[in-house]
Amino acid sequence: MTRFIMTRVARAVLTIAMVVTFAFVVLRASGDPARAMLSPETSADAVEAFRKAWGLDAPLWVQYVKYLLAVVHGDLGQSMRDGRTAATVVAERIPVTLMLTAPALALNLLLGIPAGIYAALKRDSFTDRLVMMVTVAGFTVPSFVLGLVLVLAFAVELPWFPSGGAGSVRHMVLPVVTLGLGGAAVLARFTRSAMLEVLGQAYIRTASAKGVPWRRVVTGHALPNAAIPVLTIVGLMVGNLIAGTVLVESVFSWPGIGSLLVVSVVSRDLAVVQCILLLVAAAMIATNLAVDLLYGMFDPRLRDTRSAGGA
Amino acid sequence: MAEMSAGQMSFAHVKKKRVLRWRNVAVQGAIAWLALMLVIAILADRLAPYDYAALDLRHRLAAPIGFGGHVSHLFGTDELGRDLLARLLISIRMSLFIAFGATLIGACLGTTLGFLAAHFRGWVEQVILACVDFQASMPFLVLALAVLAFVGNSLLLFVALLGLHGWERYARVTRALAMSANTQGYVVAVRQLGAGPCRLYLRHILPNIASTLIVTMTLAFPDIILLESGLSFLGLGVQPPLTSLGNMVGYGRDYLTRAPWILVPSSLIISLTTLSISLVGDWLRDRMDKTLS
Repeated sequence: MTRFIMTRVARAVLTIAMVVTFAFVVLRASGDPARAMLSPETSADAVEAFRKAWGLDAPLWVQYVKYLLAVVHGDLGQSMRDGRTAATVVAERIPVTLMLTAPALALNLLLGIPAGIYAALKRDSFTDRLVMMVTVAGFTVPSFVLGLVLVLAFAVELPWFPSGGAGSVRHMVLPVVTLGLGGAAVLARFTRSAMLEVLGQAYIRTASAKGVPWRRVVTGHALPNAAIPVLTIVGLMVGNLIAGTVLVESVFSWPGIGSLLVVSVVSRDLAVVQCILLLVAAAMIATNLAVDLLYGMFDPRLRDTRSAGGA
Repeated sequence: MAEMSAGQMSFAHVKKKRVLRWRNVAVQGAIAWLALMLVIAILADRLAPYDYAALDLRHRLAAPIGFGGHVSHLFGTDELGRDLLARLLISIRMSLFIAFGATLIGACLGTTLGFLAAHFRGWVEQVILACVDFQASMPFLVLALAVLAFVGNSLLLFVALLGLHGWERYARVTRALAMSANTQGYVVAVRQLGAGPCRLYLRHILPNIASTLIVTMTLAFPDIILLESGLSFLGLGVQPPLTSLGNMVGYGRDYLTRAPWILVPSSLIISLTTLSISLVGDWLRDRMDKTLS
């Protein structure tokens, strides 16, 4: 178990290091941030002063080392737009975004998994076909299109919900549904195929043959075995959810991390973008770790043997 | 099967057949749609009734025909009076061009790295696998946003960037298949005959794993279309005056209630095209390669 945790931690540190380096390479080496931040008419002296103030005049590797040291000390720099630390700017958006992603993830799981299990158990029935058709629509329609359709239907035609902004529970409904439905569709398809795979196994036939009631076969034999591949996909879905949040927040003008990322990208606010990249990486690492620990819960075989290089 | 009564068997048979027939119709429809898109993409500038950037200020936000519009603008016009049919056709070309280009780049890059990993093993393989893990663990949209904003935005760069999406799938598949091919008779034989690594991988192993790679490509293609349209929707992808499907949805959103005809056709085309490619991809996978799932 210790070895398992050690390898996971090493991987996590490596991923964070890669994100930090990626951010530095892409964001610093790709253009002159001073020119991008200041208006074209700014005098050469002012540009030089700006460079000095932000440490952009030092050689790249010096900047890199300084940057690494700063990140290690938890200093993620200042937002170039309003002068506050990037960490503060990002941190105040985290709860706002979680207000969307947490219910959306719950919706994914509560809708997707039961739908997939049901479809698999009623294979080739009308319900199965219906569920599969809906899910195909669910993951070929881009989230921003789905969001706009919902706005058109439930904010414009039927004025039940506000079309954008934040503030009340009613504001949350449309963005959460938009985020939730797409993920639920992916999850339903995947759960269905995982269940079908398991239901075709010999041990299911054995269990039925020795007279175990079907309900027990499903809950005691099929579901725990189907849980492992489904768990893997849930881990990957968190990434999709984060990407989806960027688009959905933009559609509904939701003032979360996603909108902040788009605004910071447009205004080339280096520190904030880096901070968000790190936050996303940390979220992904935490998810993967949680998934790995849950594997052990669902499959006792993986508890001890899963030492090196899983994932 | 022996203890199944004849009636049961034929019932199951008929049901399976019906499902298959239904699926065939869907796949044929999908192929027809993709063929149409391809024709449009090739002939876009000949089919377009106007230049896609030509203004017609007297007919701004004109409705499409059938919704109170005029024959001169079949699909209506946008806020500057630009003909939406022309824009739609050019957008289809642009989106498909980007998706094709990006898929090819991703496939070439991933396959090459997969071969390198399989050939050199050792630390080369470890580095490539670490990159694969990194790529798979970060949501690509977020990485792409960071790159786009800071490197600036040109069409070529955009295509190259989207090409980085999904390379890890090809790298994984290629590495695994090349490693198993390396132990097979034909590869051992070719190597004994003195073929160099380039010849070995490109002339002998590549053709043998091509079907799997093609299936991987059809599975990656819709993702790239969605990614491109998402980024363009945010205003960070294809830049005006150029236009793409996501772009049209993006600026159509500002006219959601006044002129829904700007974004409805492009949204439909994005959805139908990704749906069609997914259907064809699944079908190809079942026919050519059952190992991918």
